[in-house]
Amino acid sequence: MTNAVAGVGLAPDAAMVTFPIEMFLPGSDISPVETRKREFYDGLTRWRSALARDGAGEAPMICVQGTSVENAFARANHLMLANRWGDGLPLWPPTRERVDWILGGAAQPRGRGLGTFPPRGGVTTVESCAIALAMAGGRPEYLPVLVAAVGAFLDAASGSEQLQAASGSAFPVVIVNGPIGAQIRLNAGFGCLGPDPQRPAGASIGRALRLLQQNLGGALPGIGTMANYGGMRYTNVVFAEDEANLPAGWTPHGTERHGFAPGASSISLAFANGVTNIRRRGAKKETPEEDALQGMHRMADFMRVPNMPGLAGYERGTPGILMIPGVVAQTMAGLGWTKASIREFLWEHSRIPAEQLRRAGCPAWIEIDASKVTRESLALDPWPITASPDNFMIVVAGGGHPTNSYWLQGYSPGVVGRPIERPSSFERLLADAERDLGPR
Amino acid sequence: MVSLEFHDPSGAIEVKQPHASRIATLAGKRIGFVSNEQWQAYRMLPRLKALLEADFPGIEVLPIDAFPQGNAVIGSEETASLVKASGVDAVIIGNAA
Repeated sequence: MTNAVAGVGLAPDAAMVTFPIEMFLPGSDISPVETRKREFYDGLTRWRSALARDGAGEAPMICVQGTSVENAFARANHLMLANRWGDGLPLWPPTRERVDWILGGAAQPRGRGLGTFPPRGGVTTVESCAIALAMAGGRPEYLPVLVAAVGAFLDAASGSEQLQAASGSAFPVVIVNGPIGAQIRLNAGFGCLGPDPQRPAGASIGRALRLLQQNLGGALPGIGTMANYGGMRYTNVVFAEDEANLPAGWTPHGTERHGFAPGASSISLAFANGVTNIRRRGAKKETPEEDALQGMHRMADFMRVPNMPGLAGYERGTPGILMIPGVVAQTMAGLGWTKASIREFLWEHSRIPAEQLRRAGCPAWIEIDASKVTRESLALDPWPITASPDNFMIVVAGGGHPTNSYWLQGYSPGVVGRPIERPSSFERLLADAERDLGPR
Repeated sequence: MVSLEFHDPSGAIEVKQPHASRIATLAGKRIGFVSNEQWQAYRMLPRLKALLEADFPGIEVLPIDAFPQGNAVIGSEETASLVKASGVDAVIIGNAA
């Protein structure tokens, strides 16, 4: 709550009466409302904010001392954990030297404001991004992607203000299109959502975004974010579309969803709350047509679930992001499938019979939704999981193997795109990276 | 000794407005509720309304549904305008969990 209060420009403090969670459950004993009524009355009549007026300005510098470099590094890490600035994994202390090095990747002045991070309202600048990227083990050539992703995250259309604090464990998914993906070694192939020592960009960029969500946005577990589980939050999800393996005639995601020119570097940001691997290929003697169709049905079956958080994006967001490997996309394209026809198929075959919605209590959630389109969808039987086939996000990515596809279940009020701006020194930064990271 | 100096990553908060001043007493005042209808608000807020009415002479507590309810609308400018126009001296917002 104090985050939310700070986020609207008040001191991070509020007159609150707090109770254990049990009192907020169905059938609870609410007699404490009466026994503690004086606290409500005092909140209206006597409460005063305990916090002095704070001001925006440059982040102060912290100093630690140690008996050796190793000891000072350890003490810095301990301090960052004690101050709730870390994620439990080792951090690079964001020294002036390291942050200035990262800022070599900035296309904008270091003080350029990007907005305030919800819900706490931390003032966010290009330098804030560089500090987080330094802590996350990043490199300067990653900064343009992070700055674009933060710009999209802070766009109200993304829904981040609600999702930062909500219990549904939403995490941002950043999809990169254009040449910058390959240039900075952002993974689009095997293991693209996991660790890769030769393609570490996604982990650093996503971890930096998470640190910003926590340190500027106040999303600390159980305090600023009520996420029950918080999966995928060490690094969020940052990957590139495998444009080298896009079938002829298939459009890059950034062009299709946001209208960026093919070949332009851009990001697309959505939120997800679940990840599912789908074994899509057949096991016996299927024809190519049977293999494709059975795989499509299996994917639609995974999507046909009462994902009530997904209602947030029912009208304008997305029910989720389907990742299919390039080799599968090539095969399907050869059979006549396009991204559009895949979306149509999934929309039609993921619909849920109204009776199944009713037995799961879903109409109550649909009826209270803010969107008229969503509320009126209750009249449809079977009920489509999203208002339009166009809302499905289809992205070609993943290792060159035909067995699996991946479904990132959506919890995304909007899908926000941003162009990526690169500094004039970008080619030199890439040369430095080749030297530091070794041959590809 | 080795010194390591680094940036505070928590940045700054810009305070743009003060909290609303408190009222001196609840007696004779007009009080409103803004409810999201979540987390047992439908039980707890009416209980609190009854307590206020019993404890403070001359108090007027508006009905729980005097203003739009639900998470989707209680933070809107429209709701804020309705609260201001109602002439309440103070407002209680609930519930969060």
